[in-house]
Amino acid sequence: MMILQVLLVDQVQLYGVCHPYIYVICLLMMPVTLSPKIDMLCGFITGLLMDVFCNSLGVHMAACTLLMFSRRYVLELIVNDVDRLNEQISLRTLGPEAMIKYTVILVMLHHFSVFMLAAWSWDHFGYVLLETLVSGVLSILFVFGYNILKNR
Amino acid sequence: MQYLWKILHRYSNFLVFLLLEVAAFLLLFYNQAYPRSSMLSTANDVVAWQYERVNDVGDYFALKHQNEQLAQDNAMLRNQLTLLQGDSIITYQSAKVVQMTTDRLHNYLTIDRGEKDGVKRGQGVRNKDGVVGIVRTVGLNYSVVLPLISEQSQLSCRFKKNDYLCSLRWDGKDTRIALLTDVASHMVVNSGDTIVTSGLSPVFPEGLAVGVVDNSVLNPGDSYYTIRVRLQTNFKRLKYVEVIRNANQDELEELEGQENGLD
Repeated sequence: MMILQVLLVDQVQLYGVCHPYIYVICLLMMPVTLSPKIDMLCGFITGLLMDVFCNSLGVHMAACTLLMFSRRYVLELIVNDVDRLNEQISLRTLGPEAMIKYTVILVMLHHFSVFMLAAWSWDHFGYVLLETLVSGVLSILFVFGYNILKNR
Repeated sequence: MQYLWKILHRYSNFLVFLLLEVAAFLLLFYNQAYPRSSMLSTANDVVAWQYERVNDVGDYFALKHQNEQLAQDNAMLRNQLTLLQGDSIITYQSAKVVQMTTDRLHNYLTIDRGEKDGVKRGQGVRNKDGVVGIVRTVGLNYSVVLPLISEQSQLSCRFKKNDYLCSLRWDGKDTRIALLTDVASHMVVNSGDTIVTSGLSPVFPEGLAVGVVDNSVLNPGDSYYTIRVRLQTNFKRLKYVEVIRNANQDELEELEGQENGLD
C-alpha cells in the first residue's frame, strides 16, 4: 500500500504547481488499535520512503512522525469515545463533522511542517504559508474524494 | 529507581517520538552539510530506474521536438569541433535528465550517469545553452545535480564586457531569473549585458554562458545593485545535458587544499 502510494504520489508531483502530499491518507486512515510506538514507526518509515524519492532526507520523516504522534491527541480532542474506534478511521466511522476537523488539522500540520522544513528559514514564511494552504486544501479534497468513492 | 521507571514508562510514547524526530533531524542536518549518501537519494538505482521508466512513456510524445533539437545540437557541435581541435583538458559527456523538479525552493535533477561513467562529486553540468549546475551526489549509475535554480547554489561569474566578477544566486521565485547582488554601484550595468562563468574554479570552463541582464535596480543609498539575470538555460525543458570533466580538476583541488592547509 505504501509503495503504491509513493509511486502514485510521485506522478502527481511531476506535474502541478502546488505539491499535495496525498500519501498522508494511508497514515491518517490507519486504525488506532496499534500501539502508538508502532504508529510512529510506520510514519517514520513512510517518511523515509518519501524522502528518498524527493531528495529531501529527513523532511518527510520528521513531518510524518509528528503527524502520527499528534493524531491520537487530535482524536481525543474531537471524539468523545476514542476506544470505540477499532477499525480504519474514515468518514463512515468518524462521521462528517469529526472527520473534517481531524483531516484539516492533521493535513495542515503535516504540510506546514514539510514545507517549513524544506524551506529551512523564516525568509520564505509567506511563501510556505501559501504553499501549505493551496496544497493542503487539495490533499484534504483528495482524502474526502477517496472516502466518498469508497463508501459508494 | 522504581519511580524513575514509572515515569519513563508513562512518557515512553513521547520518548519514542522524540527519538524518531531527533533521528529525522540528524539526517536532515547531515544531509544538508554533506550530501554524500547516494543510497538515500534519487541517485539510488531503484528509485532512478523507476523515474526513467516513467520518462520513457513521455519520451515518445516528445520525439519530434527532441529530434529537431538533436539535429541542432549536432550542427553546433560540429562547428565547435572545427574551432577547438586539440583542446583536450576539458571533455564533455552527454547525459539524459531522468527526473527533475523546478517548482520548489531546493530543486534538483537526476541524470543517468554515475560512478560507473566516471562522474564525480563537484563536476560541472551544462547543456547547449549554458550552465546547468553542479554534481552533488553520485550513485553507481545515476547522479543528483544541484541546478542553478536552487537556493543552495552559488556561481562565480563575470561580466563579459569588462570581466567584472560577481556571484549569482537564485531567490526561489522564477525559474528563468537569477540574481546578482554584489555588483558595486560604480559599475555601469545595462540590460542586455552578458554574464559568463568566471573560470576561477575548475568546475566550469571560462566564458560559458550563464545569462543576460534583464534589469538592474540601484536604490538610493545602496552601494550594490540588485540585478535580475535571465538565465540561458530553460530548466523546464531540460532533457539532455553534458557533464564537464576537467582533466586538471583533481590536481587543482588538491593544490587548493594544500594551500588552505598552510594558512
